[in-house]
Amino acid sequence: MKLLLTGLSHKTAPVHLREKLAITESSLPRALQELQRLGAAEAVVLSTCNRVELAISTADDMEPGPVLDRFLMEWQGALAQFDGHLYRLESREAIQHIFRVAASLDSMVVGEPQILGQMKAAYAAAKAEGSVGGLLETVLTRAFGAAKRVRSETGIGQMAVSVSYAAVELARRIFGSLSGQKVLIIGSGKMGELAAKHLRRSGANKIFVTNRTFSRAEEMARMFDGRAVEYTAFPAMLHEIDIVIASSGATQYILTRDEMQRVIGQRKNKPMFLIDIAVPRNIDPDVDKIEGVFLYSVDDLAGVVNANLKERGKHAEQAETIIAEEVELMMARLRIEGVAPTIVNLQEQLEEIRAAEVERAIRRTPGMTPEERQRLEAITRSIVNKIAHGPISELRRHASEPEGNHAIEVIRRVFHLQR
Amino acid sequence: MGESSILWLRVAACLYFVGLVDATATILRRRESFFRVAAGLFGIGVMFHVVSLVEQGLAMHHFPASDILESMSLCGLIVAVTFLAIRWRYQDEAASLSVFIFPLVFLMTFMAALRSPISPWSSETARGTWLIVHIVAELLGYVALLFTAIGSVLYLIQERQLKRKVVPSIYRMLPPLGTLDDLILKSLSAGFVFITIGVIIAIVWAFIEHGTRWIGNSSITLSFVTWGIYLALVFFRVSAGWRGRKAAILSLVALAFCAVTWAAHAGLQNRLL
Repeated sequence: MKLLLTGLSHKTAPVHLREKLAITESSLPRALQELQRLGAAEAVVLSTCNRVELAISTADDMEPGPVLDRFLMEWQGALAQFDGHLYRLESREAIQHIFRVAASLDSMVVGEPQILGQMKAAYAAAKAEGSVGGLLETVLTRAFGAAKRVRSETGIGQMAVSVSYAAVELARRIFGSLSGQKVLIIGSGKMGELAAKHLRRSGANKIFVTNRTFSRAEEMARMFDGRAVEYTAFPAMLHEIDIVIASSGATQYILTRDEMQRVIGQRKNKPMFLIDIAVPRNIDPDVDKIEGVFLYSVDDLAGVVNANLKERGKHAEQAETIIAEEVELMMARLRIEGVAPTIVNLQEQLEEIRAAEVERAIRRTPGMTPEERQRLEAITRSIVNKIAHGPISELRRHASEPEGNHAIEVIRRVFHLQR
Repeated sequence: MGESSILWLRVAACLYFVGLVDATATILRRRESFFRVAAGLFGIGVMFHVVSLVEQGLAMHHFPASDILESMSLCGLIVAVTFLAIRWRYQDEAASLSVFIFPLVFLMTFMAALRSPISPWSSETARGTWLIVHIVAELLGYVALLFTAIGSVLYLIQERQLKRKVVPSIYRMLPPLGTLDDLILKSLSAGFVFITIGVIIAIVWAFIEHGTRWIGNSSITLSFVTWGIYLALVFFRVSAGWRGRKAAILSLVALAFCAVTWAAHAGLQNRLL
């Protein structure tokens, strides 16, 4: 079996390119079917906001590269735009990549737990389509196991690794205790909702929600035991608010520097924490220049998280060691699995020769007693076993070595083994 | 000075004292209802103050600004009347000025009200206790200011780090801004109370011991300047919400003045004799 993985990630391509290659949940079954139609024995598609990756396996006599090329051509049209952004990884490199991605070592926020869930969902989708059930399935399930080992054996999972939790950490650094702090959520973005949930859980119990659509604000306010505020009324209450989470779809700044200057004056410079998770941004970046106002965009929050993670770089290093071990185990296992047919082949061939030669000898020697026959069988078996012992041991030994394929090929040729 | 004019001045000082208490309470947390009471009593105090000065002028047949104490009393009255005028003009928008004005008017009037008759010490123990209370109050005030200054500098560092978005590990141990702000406010208000008590005790003590001879002394002027800076620090913190750089600088200046004042007071007793 041959394995090939191709894709784009936050490390190689900006979001506008990732968006173009993205495969939505609804079109995923069609994509998997298409890959199989083009010749892939197995196919898995992982499409998240930070990466789009396609992994396929093909039979030994089929090259997986052209299968993926044709798929991308048919699916996305002009491939030139992805030049220099698409990576392509084969066999061991592909396995290592899958393991690292599952262990969240390749994530934008290293150690974040969502990616494993997303990969499991991708695997489940492939399983539902019947597009896994061999090499790729083995690799994925081993990758999930390795990711679990990384989580339990390193501290990588215990850190504030999500952007929304980083917001809570920052709020604590600004206000100390969050109890009694007033939070205003502008808009209904998913990330904003998540950040508000974390803040609520951490003690911020006075939550206000505003939205251009008042019913949406009311709905969200109910979620947080908060209060819905008319969109036109929120600027007047800003000076009472300690934490603002902006995640509306507004295309212009909804909070400007002048406005915030007025608000901070009313608050007598009491600090304010503004979290702008909207794209395009909701809050004028110049607002951050005002003393006492702490404005964090989604990139700033990710930066904070990554700085946290750098602090604990040793956990990631430990995780890399675990992944390297797991990949090595996986490779050895695959090679041993790969050499098994050769061993069976060899044993069958030698047995065939032995049986044929014994038969001929019996035919040529009339009056052979059953005891003599038995002895002949035993002697020839012993000879064959002894001859086979050397090559079989060599096959097994070379199978677990990285450069073992060459030795295996030589043994196959020497014994004229059929593929 | 006329018997009754000094009595009215002392009544005014007592009423202004309520203002001082309110100013201190405001530093911790503005209590609107108490402010209104204090402001009302302050207004009545101004009336007594006027009566006192008029009586003084009539009794002595001269404009009541002939010496340092009279002019201090007059100056206190002008400040008080100006404050009332500002409050009348701007209503509650100017209320926060009271944090600065109330203690200032009280202290000026209080000094003027100690003119005469000053009774001598009832006993040596009372004199000693008075002095110990003064020293302890001042030292507590200095220590509180030290915490204010440390808090303000840490606040400044923490604020800068939060603005820089990425925090090096060494700064992670800093307390949160909110905690520092609370510490600054509490130590500032406690320090202000202690230093004001210390100053009041010192004034009384000095009057009893030395009459008015001490008023022009440079060391004592320095301690009034220090108290004034402390007052300014409190005022800017409470009314304008000074935090960060400005607050850190001002608290360090106040701390430096405290240190100099402390040093200047070494051997002061002998110099005054």
